[in-house]
Amino acid sequence: MTQKNINPLIELRDVVKNYQSEAGVFPALKNVNLNIERGEFLGIIGKSGAGKSTLLNMFTGVDGLTSGEVIVHANGESVSLHSLSENDLALWRGRTMGVIYQSFQLLPMLTLAQNVMMPMDMSDLYHPRKSRERALELLDMVELSEHAHKLPSLISGGQQQRVAIARALANDPPVIVADEPTGSLDSITADHIFKLFEQLVQSGRTIIMVTHDKGLMPRFSRHVEIVDGELFDNDSFPMKGKARMGEDRK
Amino acid sequence: MTKRTQPKLATVKGTELINIQQVVKTFSNAAGEFTALRGIDLTLNRGEFVAIIGKSGSGKSTLLNMLTGIDHPTTGKVLVDGTDIYALSESKRSLWRGRNLGIVFQFFQLLPMLNLLENVMLPMDYVGMYDVDERPKRAMELLRMVGLEEQAQKLPRAVSTGQQQSAAIARALSTDAPIIVADEPTGNLDSRSANHIIDLFTELSERGKTIVMVTHDSTMTQRTSRTVVISDGVLVNETIAQALPLLSQPLMKELAQKARQVSYQAGETILKIKEPAQNFYLISKGNVDVVLHKKRKKEVFVSQLGVNDFFGEMELLRGGKTIACIRAADKPVELLEISREDFNWLMKKSPLTEKAISNTVQKRLEEKKQTDKRK
Amino acid sequence: MRPRWRKVLSDLIDNKARTLLVVLSIAVGVFAIGVIAGAYVIISDDMSISYAANNPANIELRMDDFDEDFLNTIRKFDGIKEAEARRVFNIRARPLGETQWTSIDVVTIEDFEENEVNLLTPVSGKEVPLKNEILLEQDVLEKMDAAPGDTLEIQLRDNSIKTVYVAGVVQDSSTGAVDFLAPPLAYISTDTLRLFDQTELFNRIYATVETGQDDDNHISVVLSALKEKIEKNDYEVGRTFRSLTHQHPLETTINAVLGILMALGVLIVFLSSSLIANTLNALLNQHLRHIGVMKLIGGRDKIIFKMYLVLLVAFGFLALLIAVPAGGQGAYGLAQFIATKMGFSLLGYRIVPIALIIQIAVGLLVPLVAGFVPVINGSRVTVQKAISGDLAGESSEQAEGGANRESRFEAIQFEATRILADRGIRIKRPLLISLRNTFRRRGRLILTLFTLTMGGATFISVFNVRVTLHEYVESVGNYFLADVTLDFDTPYRVNEIEQFAMQDPRVTYVEGWTFSGADILSIDGTTADNVSILAPPAESVLVEPLMVSGRWVQAGDEKKLTISEGIFDLYPDLQAGDYLPLKVNGKEESWEVVGIFKFINMEGILGYAPYEYISRDQNMANLSFSYRIVTEQHDRAYQEMMAEDLDAYFRDHGFHVQEATPGLATLDSAAESLDILISFLLIMALLTAVVGSMGLAGTMSMNVLERTREIGIMRAIGATDTRIITMVLVEGLLIGVISFILGIFLAVPFTYGLSWIVSTAIFETPIAVVFTPMGYAIWAGLVIVLSTLASVLPARSAARLTIREVLAYE
Repeated sequence: MTQKNINPLIELRDVVKNYQSEAGVFPALKNVNLNIERGEFLGIIGKSGAGKSTLLNMFTGVDGLTSGEVIVHANGESVSLHSLSENDLALWRGRTMGVIYQSFQLLPMLTLAQNVMMPMDMSDLYHPRKSRERALELLDMVELSEHAHKLPSLISGGQQQRVAIARALANDPPVIVADEPTGSLDSITADHIFKLFEQLVQSGRTIIMVTHDKGLMPRFSRHVEIVDGELFDNDSFPMKGKARMGEDRK
Repeated sequence: MTKRTQPKLATVKGTELINIQQVVKTFSNAAGEFTALRGIDLTLNRGEFVAIIGKSGSGKSTLLNMLTGIDHPTTGKVLVDGTDIYALSESKRSLWRGRNLGIVFQFFQLLPMLNLLENVMLPMDYVGMYDVDERPKRAMELLRMVGLEEQAQKLPRAVSTGQQQSAAIARALSTDAPIIVADEPTGNLDSRSANHIIDLFTELSERGKTIVMVTHDSTMTQRTSRTVVISDGVLVNETIAQALPLLSQPLMKELAQKARQVSYQAGETILKIKEPAQNFYLISKGNVDVVLHKKRKKEVFVSQLGVNDFFGEMELLRGGKTIACIRAADKPVELLEISREDFNWLMKKSPLTEKAISNTVQKRLEEKKQTDKRK
Repeated sequence: MRPRWRKVLSDLIDNKARTLLVVLSIAVGVFAIGVIAGAYVIISDDMSISYAANNPANIELRMDDFDEDFLNTIRKFDGIKEAEARRVFNIRARPLGETQWTSIDVVTIEDFEENEVNLLTPVSGKEVPLKNEILLEQDVLEKMDAAPGDTLEIQLRDNSIKTVYVAGVVQDSSTGAVDFLAPPLAYISTDTLRLFDQTELFNRIYATVETGQDDDNHISVVLSALKEKIEKNDYEVGRTFRSLTHQHPLETTINAVLGILMALGVLIVFLSSSLIANTLNALLNQHLRHIGVMKLIGGRDKIIFKMYLVLLVAFGFLALLIAVPAGGQGAYGLAQFIATKMGFSLLGYRIVPIALIIQIAVGLLVPLVAGFVPVINGSRVTVQKAISGDLAGESSEQAEGGANRESRFEAIQFEATRILADRGIRIKRPLLISLRNTFRRRGRLILTLFTLTMGGATFISVFNVRVTLHEYVESVGNYFLADVTLDFDTPYRVNEIEQFAMQDPRVTYVEGWTFSGADILSIDGTTADNVSILAPPAESVLVEPLMVSGRWVQAGDEKKLTISEGIFDLYPDLQAGDYLPLKVNGKEESWEVVGIFKFINMEGILGYAPYEYISRDQNMANLSFSYRIVTEQHDRAYQEMMAEDLDAYFRDHGFHVQEATPGLATLDSAAESLDILISFLLIMALLTAVVGSMGLAGTMSMNVLERTREIGIMRAIGATDTRIITMVLVEGLLIGVISFILGIFLAVPFTYGLSWIVSTAIFETPIAVVFTPMGYAIWAGLVIVLSTLASVLPARSAARLTIREVLAYE
């Protein structure tokens, strides 16, 4: 248990990811090292094509890596993600990580409540009756309890994203990973979602969020920038003209 | 079918080509109505290289769809060289689009079953332009232009994504359409390939094509001849939107009305050191130098600020006099000037912006300290 | 309900069209199998039970007139259990007021209530006819319109007309069963014999044996002994028949026909499963994102696999809900139909357990087997692939065919395009797209082609077999080339009849024939079978035989005959030139077989010998009972008219005409039973074609669905509605045309196989295969219509997509 407090929550060690195609090898991540501490609200900022989604897939174990290691110290165990089988990984991810995508990825044929219950059903962590109660609680938290029995297509995009957040919280995971969660939302709705994230951080969760929107920088507790597969770690708010302050780079 | 020639849009540079009038677009679904465009008026001229920028969800792709005729406006008109494109039937509009617009998509969208050459020839087949024998020659020429002559016989997935996008541009040019429309053309490319694509666009606009490009990447605007910023379905002042991205859309609009446009010659001083500061400035064109005067009157250069940067905030927030001298760099500078009163109003209205600006202040103070130490 | 099961339920309910397609595909196969398996069991059970229930005679003897006393001696004969005597004679009858005569064999039964052999099953009206009343076998009703209470006119030999009342209608599954081509039957009591100018003596014996009622050898032994005894008593026995108690004489034929139908049923199951595999593959592809999401939130392979397995079972279960009741009804309907045709009755509607089990097994196994690979692949997909949505596009195509093979195949396509272009043949890009699209999803294309081609080949083959059978029946007609056959009760001089007949200017040619019955002896000297020896003049132009070996009869042949292939059942190694032991007119003789010819074996063994020899042998030189007459025209109506006219003409001149039959009439019943079979085959062929085009429709809509984005691009670069619709239609048509071309070739072995099975079943001999362009032409038309229909809906929905919808991927 003491170890738990010494180690960072997530460690990326020399992560390299190359994509192979008929056109040749494309390096998406070039030797990335990153530690994420508990309780951080980390922003990963980069343009599309910079490799930020690939990086996110490394945390979740969704995509394999070419070399390097991703270690997560959570729930009292240390796990090297890419040494797990797909199946073990699925179960581990279901219990440890809530994942949120830009396109919500709710199952369209299930009601909101059922969507939120799904992770609990999949991981067998909760008794079905208990999982129903919990789903309704979570929907209440994201202020959607009145829509609990509607289908996703009947609510707005912002509401769908809140359901996705409720679903990500279903198994009470210590880490939330979000890929452009506000990407397809208008600014007011996006702000709502952000406030929800801030609340979650305050309640002790770790959130990793990927975005291309530099304007969101001040809202993270820390952010890193990714450019063409390389990571630039900035501890504070950047200024224009930072190119000449490049000495600060790690 | 093959030799029908289309009256070409006149290519006199600078004259009006696309005219968007009071376009409103409302999407409705079971969850209710969502207005993506709230009355857009926009005129684009021949030969312009226009960037439409905005965040995701701002309505920029919807706006683009309005001028390609891909989507219907709820109300309002779109005239392209005098043609009201929404008066045409869907099928006629397809043909019109084939002849007058070259479209480049984010995901390249080459047809996977045709090789690059065939992909480039296809629009000519569809709209029946150029002689049958001429089509392969023309397609080859276009591929040569984008540097893909060698890859002509390859299938799209056998070439890199950057090459696919180049081929897509060649395809967009195949019917010699006067307008090229591109939706996030560099969105899925690494920065080198992205630069190559933008180079191509610049070259084309120099040759007289009108290019309209949608992007969320504000750095692209440095290379375009004009930038249109859209936020929550309304066009907003570019400088304000870029410099203060955390402002809500109505605040941006209000601020645009309050701000004054001022310009300075190259080298002209804007803020003198140790004088009381009254205004907050946003840079819309050119660069300014930040300079400290040390003892013995020696100038110490701190940094240079560019387009969409701001200055003057430190004094307004912390009170007191100007701590650095700011002057126009080697070119004339255009600025938006915001009075202390308006600035205070803004800070009150948008705490997020205040927080962001305070962060900048801290950062700049540290910078100053370092400069002080060094000297 | 747990969310996972809720999702399965929604998958089932939400896309009703797809669920329906899958469920119907399974149901079609299950239905076909159920109908045939059920009918098979019902028929084989009920046919023997129903046949046995009427206590059919094991032995039938057609012989000289005899009396009650003689019958009693036969009843006491060793090994005989029951024996009944009947008097059977032929009359012509018609309902009062009608003009058309129908030939009927009248069976006289001494005591309807005490009758023990060849029992009658009442259908309607009375069961026992009084004096001057008649019972009709239900087959009579197919030839004339009569009901209990009606009056029939009966024409006797002397042309006098009598009237009788129809007392009732009965079914007789035994008496007529042995003789497929015999006229329909009617029944009277002995009281009525006098009305018909008949003596009160019997001419047939129907007997059952004491033991071994289902042992043909035993019956044969009893029959030989009985016949010997009768002949010792100076009675002459004409023909003899044997049958088993529990086996309907036509059972093997019916079973063979059902066997063919079963084979087609299995084919349909097979085809429908490839259709299901296709649909499920597409379904799993569409569900990849869902699978990805579920895996993302903790779902393991096992859970996903179970979910989709349950979905498959649910598809099967739904199909069973439709197919089991429908199949049960269909089985009974088919059995009922065959029972009516074959003259036996069913024991009543029931569920056949074995058919039910087969249906359930097929209904559950087919989706499981067909869906197993897609489900396994689907549940193993990685989250990354699933979420990126990349699978609907190129990468899965590569996975399907293997990257190398795919590109080699494409290389061939490109090379072909280039070679054509070099020769100045340029395929326009829009057409090129259709062409290349066709070969993009090769796994799917192969399955689609497979179903459609199998359906088409079956369809074409059925037409070929139909013509083959008809051609054969027609060639059998070459044994019956005369337009009218005129039979007399007493022999007349050939010259005399010829003279009379030729007085009618419409008659162009007359031949006098005779015939003789003989027993074929087995090696140990016992009677093995009968042979009817027809004796046309040696130079007869009215027989065009299909020789298997040897030669036809010649003038001057003595104790020589040609014999039908049926002889092979007794003497499998018989060759032309061999000698055959026969018992002719009670004399055991050795005849040379000069040739063997083809004939419908079910009619018994047939032989031909020259008139000149047989008539001399019978001491009836220049006399004949039976005449073959050729008329000016040869169509059915003309023949009927001529038969009618000649009948009247000869009767008017005092000849004892027994019957005048139009020539083609003999072939009718044979052709009729063939048409029943052909229509069954056609229904099955249509079912396979329907399954095939369902497959094509499914494929086309899946293709369009997966290519919506490409279609959007095409619209964005200037393609009009017509272009898009044409593109999809051309692809559908192309698949149709390819399957047609493949079908042309596949139809050849299919035709040979099917015709072998059918002809062996019906004629007990393989027959020469004939190909007809009709099947090809109809299928060509049908496949074009079907593939257009199959792609027109997807094409239209493709054209309706607006670009925005298509490109709205965010």
